[in-house]
Amino acid sequence: MTASDRSADERVVITGIGPVTPIGTGVDAFWESLTQGRSGARRVPELIEAGLKVQIAADIPEFEPADYMETKSARRMARFAQLGVAAARLAVADAGLDLEAVEAERAAAVINTGGGGVTTIAQQSEVLNEKGPGRVSAMFVPMMAGNMASCQVSIELGLRGPALTSLAACAASVYAFIDSRRLLLDGEADIALAGGTESNVSALGISGLANMQALSRRNDDPEAASRPFDADRDGFVFGEGAVVCVIESLQSARARGARIYAEVLGGGRSADAYHITAPDPDGDGAARAMSAALRSARLNPDQIGYICAHGTSTPLNDAIETRAIRTVFGSHADALAVSSVKSMTGHLMGAAGALSGAATALALYHGVLPPTINLDTADPACDLDYVPNTARDSVIDAAIVNGFGFGGQNGVAVLARVDD
Amino acid sequence: MSDDASLQSRVCQLVADQLRQPLEKVTAEAHLIDDLDADSLDIVDLTIAIEEEFSTDDHQLEIPEEDAAEIRTMQDLLDYLATAGVS
Repeated sequence: MTASDRSADERVVITGIGPVTPIGTGVDAFWESLTQGRSGARRVPELIEAGLKVQIAADIPEFEPADYMETKSARRMARFAQLGVAAARLAVADAGLDLEAVEAERAAAVINTGGGGVTTIAQQSEVLNEKGPGRVSAMFVPMMAGNMASCQVSIELGLRGPALTSLAACAASVYAFIDSRRLLLDGEADIALAGGTESNVSALGISGLANMQALSRRNDDPEAASRPFDADRDGFVFGEGAVVCVIESLQSARARGARIYAEVLGGGRSADAYHITAPDPDGDGAARAMSAALRSARLNPDQIGYICAHGTSTPLNDAIETRAIRTVFGSHADALAVSSVKSMTGHLMGAAGALSGAATALALYHGVLPPTINLDTADPACDLDYVPNTARDSVIDAAIVNGFGFGGQNGVAVLARVDD
Repeated sequence: MSDDASLQSRVCQLVADQLRQPLEKVTAEAHLIDDLDADSLDIVDLTIAIEEEFSTDDHQLEIPEEDAAEIRTMQDLLDYLATAGVS
């Protein structure tokens, strides 16, 4: 059975995209940066002042919560939740969706994250230690809890269906596509705001990742630091941001005359059951998630034309992901285009999967594949077509989106082009 | 400006900032919940902010939870601070 054999109410599509990212806020700015190969990384004053080993990140200094919500509401949210609400509002506007016309009880929020409000925990720990227990904010718990991005989106937008959160590190918001599709196919909701958010670019967050030796130390050249699949890669660039997509049935999208970016055909997940940070050296978990995703989408490997790679720019990930792609796709691996948008955006952790999914939906819609920038020197362990440095015109029927998290959680979503 | 008036203007400004309300709404008669849109979480954080604002090296202001629960209007708050010896 192919996608077109399914009836319109059994098909789930993306009709709105709301990015708040280091390379642009709003779908037009985001897509322009992706196709122009722009980096969002910079030297961050707070990290320089703290004298950290890693002083670069892909943050969003221009983000103004007051553009998207009442200042009083914003004050009750950690930054990851503020970013999530902003992305949700942008997605709804991009979808041309009138929330008043949607049955609120049938609208879901699925906003996933990696860390939640870690910076709030750090700030309030300082208050506790310096000023005593009586001064710890009553807002502390409802600000830092990782479920609050979903909850705040539901509160701010009045969505009264399921509000879900998966904490699944770098795979988290790939899960958002998979779970939102199931909510719709199971009849639990008619529409879902699906995405991820992360904001932990702080001395604490950077220090932990730097001491894991996960981050690039190319402090003198931030825009060249994220270089997935390049022989000189030395770690990822930590980023912040949120991306939320509007997901609804094809029937509902067509009924309201919505623009359709892409179909969510299926998804697969697995656990490495191997190590808390290192990926399984054979790429077995990643390969099983990709195979499970193809089975879920009822596609053969040779029906996939593009992979939006996890591609973090760490020495281990990029070589192992390449091996896993070869395992799953066999000889078709050499016919595939593979790129890592993290070369431009940095690694947004809990928002990375939604960002990659949004980039892939736009790539399918526009017939343009975003490049892997900073790919200057070939690595023998990374021997696929990574769309180096320049975007490529290419009409693709179906693509997969990879997200592989610390802890060995793997998520892969399958997206497909929808003909009008 | 008398000490009372000075205290009142400092408290009103702090409440306006803390509750994100325009200063002109923060009158002595204003009810924290009904008029200034506060909830129980806001009131806890407001009392923390007041403790910090009005504590000095010589005198640490502590507003016990049971006292904070009795403060419903701006006048309640001003009266409480006067009784507590805040100036």
